[in-house]
Amino acid sequence: MADKLFGLIDLNWRFELTKFKLIRNLFKSRWFPLLAIIFNLFIFVIILISGLIGGFSAGNYNFGIMIVWILWWVMLMFILVPIFSRAWCLMCPFPVFSDWLQRGALFVVTGLKLKGLGLKWPKALKNMWVMNILFLVTTFFSGFFTVRPLATFILLGGIILLAFLIGLVFEKRSFCLYVCPVSGFQGLYSQFAMAEVRRKDPEICKNHKVKTCYVGNECGYGCPWMLTPFNFTKNTYCGMCLECFKSCPHDNMAFNLRPPGVDLLVDEKRGLDEAWKAFIMLGIAMVFFLTMQGPWGFLKDWVRGTSLKGYLTFISLHTAFSLLIVPAIFLVFSYLSKSFSGAKEVSLKKIFTNFSYTLVPLGLGVWIAFSVGIVLPNGSYILHIISDPFAWGWNLFGTRSVPWTPVFTGALGHLQGAVLIVFYLFSLAYGARLSRQTYPTEEQAKRGWIPILIFLTLATLAFLWLYIG
Amino acid sequence: MKKINETIAVILMLLATVGTIIGVFVIEGARRKKFYTVELIARSPLNGNWYPKEFKVPLGKEAKIYIRNVETVSHGFSLPEFNVSAREIKAGEVEVVKFTPDKRGKFPFFCTVWCSNEHLHMSGEVIVE
Repeated sequence: MADKLFGLIDLNWRFELTKFKLIRNLFKSRWFPLLAIIFNLFIFVIILISGLIGGFSAGNYNFGIMIVWILWWVMLMFILVPIFSRAWCLMCPFPVFSDWLQRGALFVVTGLKLKGLGLKWPKALKNMWVMNILFLVTTFFSGFFTVRPLATFILLGGIILLAFLIGLVFEKRSFCLYVCPVSGFQGLYSQFAMAEVRRKDPEICKNHKVKTCYVGNECGYGCPWMLTPFNFTKNTYCGMCLECFKSCPHDNMAFNLRPPGVDLLVDEKRGLDEAWKAFIMLGIAMVFFLTMQGPWGFLKDWVRGTSLKGYLTFISLHTAFSLLIVPAIFLVFSYLSKSFSGAKEVSLKKIFTNFSYTLVPLGLGVWIAFSVGIVLPNGSYILHIISDPFAWGWNLFGTRSVPWTPVFTGALGHLQGAVLIVFYLFSLAYGARLSRQTYPTEEQAKRGWIPILIFLTLATLAFLWLYIG
Repeated sequence: MKKINETIAVILMLLATVGTIIGVFVIEGARRKKFYTVELIARSPLNGNWYPKEFKVPLGKEAKIYIRNVETVSHGFSLPEFNVSAREIKAGEVEVVKFTPDKRGKFPFFCTVWCSNEHLHMSGEVIVE
């Protein structure tokens, strides 16, 4: 009997978009995603110029701040990650310079041997920990990125430089896979996405002895993310560069639509690094809400560094909350889950890790709700800054004089609450299934699920209280 | 064909990066030369005050002052001697004021919006030569 999400959608349902010739040809063309990357590079050059020129000036009329933190961030959380998985990685311009250097070309496939030192990434760091820490550290400066253009310039410039330097020393997309602070949460939340890159017929891959998707051929490079596309089972680490579509001589790769969240049930490479990513994202979301959208002025002062003591207090509390307190609370509920289940043979680590994936839908919902709180009050600034990107008095599209116009802010809290409840339901739907994966018997799974259900409910109620109060 | 495509890709890449940077500054440079006499940055006194605090304009020729508020508070502009003023210049906004000086000398200009506790010190001078 088919396992149906909410009793409605078969979890095995797939709809292959690449069966349409137009989309398949697009995916097989070497111009795609190169043109999208070059276009985004153009946008990011403007962002960097506006950040540098803007310096310490007002953030609300700065192209860089508005595009990065209002448009890009919101697009990422609203559309790109929940629907199209790592579609941003597909068109991200950050690693384009190191790709160019390694390959010696932008368009053509130059050969199997890449340039640069090509060192292997240290084995101990082949996980999400570097990304976890870097993302957390990045959020220490959140009070500056969103109001000071120069801070956004330094952040983006730093990421582009780091991507280039790591590309010089380490092989392929080591930066994207193990370092990029934007990559980690996309990887985690892309497990919820409604799209995936997968091979079509496993038999074709089995009989294809030269794994061109991994080693490359004259049509495409071997997977830059150092994965094996012929046996993809989850989205987490696939950067959707589409090289496997180009290098597969049997056209056996597919881009599918699917029910949201099915990767959460894939018991592969589950680990504490991904679990902590889920905790950190949830912790950061709460801290961001309190400091950016809450009514507490003293918190805003802390984050903006109006006093050193306040700023250090913010960093300490923020780190302790996201890195220790949230996981510690979850550990208590995991322990309760083990006790309730009565399954002594199941390790606490397995319970803790497996159930941490229930935080993926909830965390994504929390971030979408947070993004609603960004875009509705501030979205109108976009119209101003696209006409006057450098605050020089330009009026490119005639929208320079559009005043700041908050939209639907009266209903903001309720909208955020509604989003959160929808994603909470997804967390429950997958949580019950994860419980059945974790515990050997149905009875144990039912009992062990209760404490986690209570944790998810309490976390949701806490956010609802913040949104609606 | 591959070589042509590679060349096109490299050209597009250069246009997106170097071309954009050069283009932006060349266009803005030409625009300012054509349309404005002086660029005036508005900042409250503790953050740097008007920059430049003093600038020259020629007698009898229309002067166009391009005022950029680079702060997070509103500013204003007034040059009483020539009956010139600007509307409230909100954070991040740009305003242009025009006048034709008909007398030589040094004339003070001020911020007209209460921008900080030091607002009354936010002033500069126009020198008409």
